[in-house]
Amino acid sequence: MAEVRLEKVVKRYGKLEIVHGIDLAVAHNEFVVLVGPSGCGKSTTLRMIAGLEEISGGTIRIGDRVVNELPPRSRNISMVFQSYALYPHMSVRENLGFGLKIAGQGEDEIKKRVDEAAEILGLGELLDRLPQHLSGGQRQRVAMGRAIVRHPDVFLFDEPLSNLDAKLRGQMRVEIKKLHQRVKTTVIYVTHDQVEAMTLADRIVIMRDGHVEQVGTPSEVFERPVNTFVAGFIGSPPMNLIEAVVTTGKARLADGIEVPLPPDARVSEGLPIVLGFRPESFAPRGHSLHADARALSLSRTVVIAEPLGTETILFTTLGGKDVQGKMLAPRPVSPGEQLEFTLDLDRLHVFDHASGVTLR
Amino acid sequence: MSAGSIERPWQRWAIRIGVFIAMLILVLPGAWVVLTAFRPNIEVLARPAVWIPQNLTLHNFLGIFGRLDTQQGLPVANYFINSMVISVTSTVVAIAVGMMGGYAFARYRFRGKAALFLGFMLSRTVPGVALSLPLFILWSRLGLIDTSVGLIIVYMAVNIPFTIWLTDGFFRQIPVDLSEAAQIDGCTRWQAFWKVEFPLARSGLASAAIFAFLTSWNEYALASQLTRTTASKTMPVGLMDFTAQFTVDWTGMSAMAVLIIVPALVLTFIVQKHLIAGLTFGGVKG
Amino acid sequence: MNFLRLPRATPYLLLLPAIVVILGVVLVPLVVSFWTSFTPYNLTKPATLFQFVGLRNYERLLGNADFWWAFGRTILFITIALNLEMVLGLGLALLINKVTWGQRTLRTIMMFPMMFSPILVGFQFKYLFNDAVGLVNNALFDLGIIQQPIPWLVDGSLAPLTIILAEVWMSTSVFAILLLAGLMALPKEPIEAAKVDGCNPWQVFRHITLPFLMPFVYIAMTIRSLDVARAYDMVRIMTNGGPAGRTELLWTLMTRTGYNNSQMGMANAMGYVSILTSILFTYYFYRKLVSARAFMGGAQ
Ligand SMILES: Nc1ncnc2c1ncn2[C@@H]1O[C@H](COP(=O)(O)OP(=O)(O)O)[C@@H](O)[C@H]1O
Ligand SMILES: [Mg+2]
Repeated sequence: MAEVRLEKVVKRYGKLEIVHGIDLAVAHNEFVVLVGPSGCGKSTTLRMIAGLEEISGGTIRIGDRVVNELPPRSRNISMVFQSYALYPHMSVRENLGFGLKIAGQGEDEIKKRVDEAAEILGLGELLDRLPQHLSGGQRQRVAMGRAIVRHPDVFLFDEPLSNLDAKLRGQMRVEIKKLHQRVKTTVIYVTHDQVEAMTLADRIVIMRDGHVEQVGTPSEVFERPVNTFVAGFIGSPPMNLIEAVVTTGKARLADGIEVPLPPDARVSEGLPIVLGFRPESFAPRGHSLHADARALSLSRTVVIAEPLGTETILFTTLGGKDVQGKMLAPRPVSPGEQLEFTLDLDRLHVFDHASGVTLR
Repeated sequence: MSAGSIERPWQRWAIRIGVFIAMLILVLPGAWVVLTAFRPNIEVLARPAVWIPQNLTLHNFLGIFGRLDTQQGLPVANYFINSMVISVTSTVVAIAVGMMGGYAFARYRFRGKAALFLGFMLSRTVPGVALSLPLFILWSRLGLIDTSVGLIIVYMAVNIPFTIWLTDGFFRQIPVDLSEAAQIDGCTRWQAFWKVEFPLARSGLASAAIFAFLTSWNEYALASQLTRTTASKTMPVGLMDFTAQFTVDWTGMSAMAVLIIVPALVLTFIVQKHLIAGLTFGGVKG
Repeated sequence: MNFLRLPRATPYLLLLPAIVVILGVVLVPLVVSFWTSFTPYNLTKPATLFQFVGLRNYERLLGNADFWWAFGRTILFITIALNLEMVLGLGLALLINKVTWGQRTLRTIMMFPMMFSPILVGFQFKYLFNDAVGLVNNALFDLGIIQQPIPWLVDGSLAPLTIILAEVWMSTSVFAILLLAGLMALPKEPIEAAKVDGCNPWQVFRHITLPFLMPFVYIAMTIRSLDVARAYDMVRIMTNGGPAGRTELLWTLMTRTGYNNSQMGMANAMGYVSILTSILFTYYFYRKLVSARAFMGGAQ
């Protein structure tokens, strides 16, 4: 059993505090993804769990041990680096077996486990090559192989796919998911790519500036973002966010349009708010995702239409801001065309303007 | 570069002739000395000059090793052994000590890092001649004048800063990730160094060692003041023995010059690729 | 808690041996040297080591014409030699870079002079330029260009020239090799862009190649300025400062004063002047290197 538990974990470089007291509990065999913009402290957090960075405050537990003072080798973890960090002077076989050799395993056991890992990842052909003779995707596999041969309690990944091209990234994402289903282990996975986070995670941890903003399942963070940051970060294209003021129970936009608020929104008269809605909740009439929802009809002029094949992204303006709508089952739309949009009122998000916190 | 530009035939010939002349200038002086080392004295001194060697001989080498009755032998064998012992020992120690230092600079942040690095480099700028004055005073009092140990210590100090500079560059070329991956794979920091970082830096260290060896092997200014007798005199100092005599023994000196240059040549050719790499990225990536 | 066991102590422990050696062999002697330069210390009279005379040595130096001549000659020598080496080294690098065959061999030959001990280079040129048996005079004589031998190392104005020649032979390679490495690392795109923009070959060289090479020039200069004093070995064997002091450099004057005349106090004062000169040269080029690198950005 290896759950990972972070309590008030702090990281300081000199006087500069980078990670401000993170609390997080990762369950046994859970796949947790740390996501956030670059520089928000994801890697630092992961490296503290790995033991590669000293912890300035708080405690980290793996299983029932406090590991604050333990060196990486005593934590029974393995890690896949963004750069893969394959040992250039060792063949693939030696790379895979290195950890076992250090641990003093016998030749036979090493061979058995290396072959097993090679088989899982389809590395059979490559075992005698040097890393410099492998493609990016192959190196990535070797890096993962090196992590799984040791049967660790916890897998750590630091942006393992960010050096791959888009197509390969998609493939490897599926492989990682399959791998987790096969070798059930606790995984902590760092990425700045919200798509990766949504597709891989059991639970997502969204970080910003060394703080945890929200923890939840992919659908929780997608459907109920706790603040404007999470709302804007998760989902692509991002959620439309428009300033408004509460006037007679409705949200009054800058251009005078009034949008009815959900009944459970905790707002008071005159409160400046931010109104949020996803592009898929803002579609031309007849293309709405939820036909039964309460909706507001708005006639808008399309500025640009981006056909993506199965859908078209429509750029228009609302409340003095650029907003995006999404048309499923698309038909040709030309710029300047006037369309009747419907705004799904059941899927409105309401945030406090000052703090950005959700008001639902 | 050259593949991309269009050359006319006359340009190609101009380049070839230019290269030929340049190479001739670089090679000829040394080659002439080597040739002289194998020629009889009479032929070298002959007037008018004899351009095509009539006969080649080992006579001069036998002479400087004192194997001929006609000539008073010089203790060149002693000099050679002294030079070897002093250069090899000081190189090995300087590489070990310098590697530790270079690793510290490449891998750790610590207070006073920049100042220390500058200090090491400044210590290298002190001219050997100027340093020989106080060292002469100190070494006399410590009884280190005319001992191999005395010179070994000095050459260590001469070589350590440059070794630090080079190895710092080499270690910084090796991603930190590798050492970290090894630690996650179960290594201690010490094991991670020896199993991952050291093997990768090995060729760089070899070139640093060659630099150190050449510096010691070729050094004259300090050795000329800190050595006195066959107990510690090195080859470059020994070379001056010949000019102390009334007439200059050109063939004997040439033979000795060959003995000085051959080990340096052999070593350099073995590692020449790393040598250039070492020189450039030690500096460029600094 | 014991400091030595903290991870913070590791870099200091790693550096300790290097620090100890440099302290013992460079710093302490420099302090001794500094002290000695304020005494009339004479090797034959040990007691004089503890006799403080203030700035007397320095005052005498500043009033001594021989010293100023040697000092000026040293600066001139360094300046001429380094500039010649740079220009010739650049030319050689450009030449070799144009060659498509046997570059490896050529580069190996180019490294030839770098392996030579300065004392050997001195001997070699002393031999080549010897008036009686030297290759140069023999060749000129047999080609009928001269009737009388030219006294290369005996003539007051030819001797410095010959020494500069030897120095340039020895060290041009350092520049050539580093600049060649620079040329090989030269990115192709800017050059192609410049050509497309209508630059002629000279303009490409002037505005693209040369700025890119500057950090390499300064690396070479920095490396060279570290050991300009090696010229002492060469001069020592070729002329030992003669004829009539015409090739006397700061370094030969210093050893003559210290060891032959036993005036260690005075010699150490000169030593300090030479040390400061060396440091200034190195520092100057190092600063240039840093700013050239910052300017280039890419060529880190
Ligand atoms: N050694 C260090 N010293 C000072 N600041 C650092 C150091 N390492 C990282 N940082 C800072 O910590 C912040 C978080 O870095 P990191 O965890 O790598 O972010 P990311 O979320 O992109 O992985 C960054 O702003 C970075 O500049
Ligand atoms: Mg990161």
